[in-house]
Amino acid sequence: MALSLLLVLVLFASAQAQQNVIKIGAVYPLTGNIASTGLDCKRGVDLAVDIINGKYDLDLPLARSAGLPNLGGAKIEIVYADTKGDPKNGMSEAERLITSEKVVAMIGAYQSAVTKTASQMTERLRIPYVCSDSSSPTLTEREFKYFFRVSPHDDIFARDQFQFLKDLEKKTGQTVHNVAVLYENTEFGSNAGKAYKKYAAEFGYNVVADIAYAANATDVTSEVGKLIVSKPDVLMHASYITDAILFTKTFKEMGFQPKGIMTMAGYIEPGYLAAVKADGNFVIVRSTFALDLAKNKPLVAKVNDLFRKKYGIDMSENAARSFMAPFVLAEAINRAKSTDPEAIVKALHETDIPGNQTIYPWKGIKFDPKSNQNIYARGTLVQIQNQEYVTIWPFDSASKPVVWPFPDWKERK
Amino acid sequence: MRNFTVRQIIAGFAILLLLIAFPLVVRQSFHIHVMILVFMFGMLGVAWNIMGGYAGMFSFGQAAFFGIGAYTSSYLSVTYGVNPWIGLLAGGCAAALVASAIGYPCSNLRGHYFAIASIAFAEIVRIVFNNWKRVGAAEGLSLPMQNESFAGFLFNSSKLPYYYIMFAFLLISLAVSYFVTTSKMGYYFRAIKESHKIAESLGVDVVLYRLMAIMISAFLSAMAGTFYAQYILYIDPGSVMLLATSIQIVLIAMLGGAGSILGPVIGAAILIPASEYTRVALGYKGTGIDMLIYGLLITLISMYYPEGVWKLFVRIGRNLR
Amino acid sequence: MPDQLLQQLADGLLIGLMYSLVAIGLTLIWGVMNIVNFAHGDFLMLGMFASFWLCTLYGIDPIFSIPISFICMFVMGTLIYRFIVSKVMKGPVLAQLVVTFGVSIFISNLAVYFWTPDFRLLPATILHGTWQIGGIEFGVPKVAASIGSVIASACMFLFLKRTKTGKAISATEMDREAALLMGINTERINSLSFGIGAALVGVAGAFLSTYYYIYPQVGGLFGTIAFCVVALGGFGSIEGAFIAGILVGLAQTLGGFFFDPSYKYAIVFMIYLITIWIRPQGLMGW
Repeated sequence: MALSLLLVLVLFASAQAQQNVIKIGAVYPLTGNIASTGLDCKRGVDLAVDIINGKYDLDLPLARSAGLPNLGGAKIEIVYADTKGDPKNGMSEAERLITSEKVVAMIGAYQSAVTKTASQMTERLRIPYVCSDSSSPTLTEREFKYFFRVSPHDDIFARDQFQFLKDLEKKTGQTVHNVAVLYENTEFGSNAGKAYKKYAAEFGYNVVADIAYAANATDVTSEVGKLIVSKPDVLMHASYITDAILFTKTFKEMGFQPKGIMTMAGYIEPGYLAAVKADGNFVIVRSTFALDLAKNKPLVAKVNDLFRKKYGIDMSENAARSFMAPFVLAEAINRAKSTDPEAIVKALHETDIPGNQTIYPWKGIKFDPKSNQNIYARGTLVQIQNQEYVTIWPFDSASKPVVWPFPDWKERK
Repeated sequence: MRNFTVRQIIAGFAILLLLIAFPLVVRQSFHIHVMILVFMFGMLGVAWNIMGGYAGMFSFGQAAFFGIGAYTSSYLSVTYGVNPWIGLLAGGCAAALVASAIGYPCSNLRGHYFAIASIAFAEIVRIVFNNWKRVGAAEGLSLPMQNESFAGFLFNSSKLPYYYIMFAFLLISLAVSYFVTTSKMGYYFRAIKESHKIAESLGVDVVLYRLMAIMISAFLSAMAGTFYAQYILYIDPGSVMLLATSIQIVLIAMLGGAGSILGPVIGAAILIPASEYTRVALGYKGTGIDMLIYGLLITLISMYYPEGVWKLFVRIGRNLR
Repeated sequence: MPDQLLQQLADGLLIGLMYSLVAIGLTLIWGVMNIVNFAHGDFLMLGMFASFWLCTLYGIDPIFSIPISFICMFVMGTLIYRFIVSKVMKGPVLAQLVVTFGVSIFISNLAVYFWTPDFRLLPATILHGTWQIGGIEFGVPKVAASIGSVIASACMFLFLKRTKTGKAISATEMDREAALLMGINTERINSLSFGIGAALVGVAGAFLSTYYYIYPQVGGLFGTIAFCVVALGGFGSIEGAFIAGILVGLAQTLGGFFFDPSYKYAIVFMIYLITIWIRPQGLMGW
């Protein structure tokens, strides 16, 4: 009797020993100027880990099992590091997480400049890095062996916005000739600006204004003044949240009235609408995620419900983007049946997650063999209507028709 | 010339040996990284000291020189394949040139005005680099990860070479600082700091010596900039030309003890680990507690040790006699 | 084009007056105590948050909460002086420069700790919308801020010239030792000036909160520009700060409009440098 008890105990103990933890490093700006975004990304990551580690009836990879089944139910643990938005911290924190905390993979870092240095470190140390929230095209142009990107990049987004204009013309006959390009003056904005100008030329539009500005400006009347005199049909704006708020207020104040305002990033942050409220209506933003995707994908609603239950607010685009990276990694590690970095990288090359197992309008997740960019990543366009983000393009996945042209400021309530 | 007792010399050597042995004993790369930053900021503080602590020109724009050094060597390396060590010297010269161009008109500005002028100047440099397409503008410059070599100033497999190189740079800057203090130049600097008018009446060419102080300071800061570029392999105006970095340099020099040779190094040895380790321990929560502690530390030290923590060490040093 | 030019001029004036309002508190502290208050931008932030909380929690419109902000910031300023700054007044100049840095970092991160780094914007207050005069749009909150700036500057100017305390402050500004000899309690003057300086920028914060977004790090750029404004106008000179503020606002807006918006702050700093080279003591300094 005692012997069998002992045997059970030993078996139990060895099973427990197999119940190990897989550490993944996450570098984000958790304090500093852009902390509210960093914390938003963290929310997405934490929810993903909950789902992977627990048992949920969801069509997401590894949701229905607790932990990673091929590794004895091992659980994912995220080790966070604060970059404060500084590229040098991105590098040192990535190194610390790998060498001291012994993480087997990395995610993060939202700001492309920080992702650059952090991934340089992971490339040096041969650790896989799966990024789902930095959008600079240069990150995958480097063709690093250990760096993978799940989400679309700004080049794709810029092209989308021009494609929309062509589609709009075909559908409604509304033509556009002149485009103004406005962007904040750091790595993200200037790359986006470049992409905008490239596609404007390719699609045959006339760039009448090309304005770069400092994101934390005290005032933007000169910039808006220049926009007004250039008389564009459409404004393309790449911004962070602070400048998005300031520009919206100034557009209204100075009566800037293009036919459409199409934007990136800042306008889709939850803080933006909370700040500007109804003044944000009718702005079009590029997005990888919108709550109304739930119409065609019930998974989105279920995930948002979980998000709401955990945090009391709806899932935002940032949280949604960061949400996917842990799944991609966990799924690859599970398939590789190992936490050895080379095995994970091999598994990532073979990743082929179907679109209905994601919360995005993509065909799936599969990495290009050279650049490691997800070939199916694409964006959609949402428009703010009644202070909600509504998918308006591609037209066949739209949940509501686009409001175009941009209604007069003075005629709105 | 100061006379050191045997005990003090032994103590000095002991510290030197400890620092040399440090990365061989402590293998965790993060701690080595912190020490590298300590050396780098120590050097920047020593460079600032030559202008500020000795000659009384409180510059809040050192990051501009740091950045010019980083950009010069990186641009030359990436575009023309120029060896980074040569780029280092080029960067130093470029910074010294810019320093003299700005220093000449500013040479008769007093304390606060000089400080604000230095901020204005540094911000102009940052904005220009942020828009200058040739050097990458806002996207910055990425240095390619090539094979490691000493000649190429690039090491991949270990941090140790970076550690020792930065340590050597620091010693070089300390030597320069020592030379400046003990030479006639240093004497003139102190006279200028005390009073322009008196120095002038004594026949000291105030403008010339102020310019020399600025140029030396700029050259050393630029050296640190090249090191940074070769260490991090990515620079952009937002990371190497920040006002916050300039401010940090002043804090380090002042809290350690402006006007003393080793003061800035002590300042770096306190402030850098303080900010790095509090960030690691507390930063990830996102509540800003680490910065609260940092701010508190700065406030308390300036209240109770306004001459710098260096004075404390001097007392300990005296007790060793 | 002429339409837009007038619009830019008008806006330059309005933003310039806001800079003036932020700067007059700073120039007072600087002139009297010879301290660069690096925490000035954070005092601005506190003023903005005070206005925000009074409005969202108690429904008090910023215009009416100004007196409350004024008093609170005054008290805070005096306390910071008494317990922190006064200790370094006798020490080296560098320590005086640095202690306000420490206070600045501490205050902005205390704000992060209590209020999170999120951005907040006040909903439409009593003064909102725009007035259209002669084809130019004037944002009402900005106009209110400008009027406030003019009133505040005028009040400070008269205070310093006509009242007994004010004259004592001016005297201390001009010559500290002489003031001491005349029996002026310079410690009390210091404390009073620091308090008034903080209170003034608190008022600036209240006005700014009606049209700018509020978050813990908001003091940064406004603070840096304020230093330039003060130095340009001449330390200690209220009139100087007032005029310099307007000049900076115009330079920023017109420079950005005619030249290149990405260089607009460089233009501001360049004008500052050029002025200082020609006239080192600032426009109206001594």
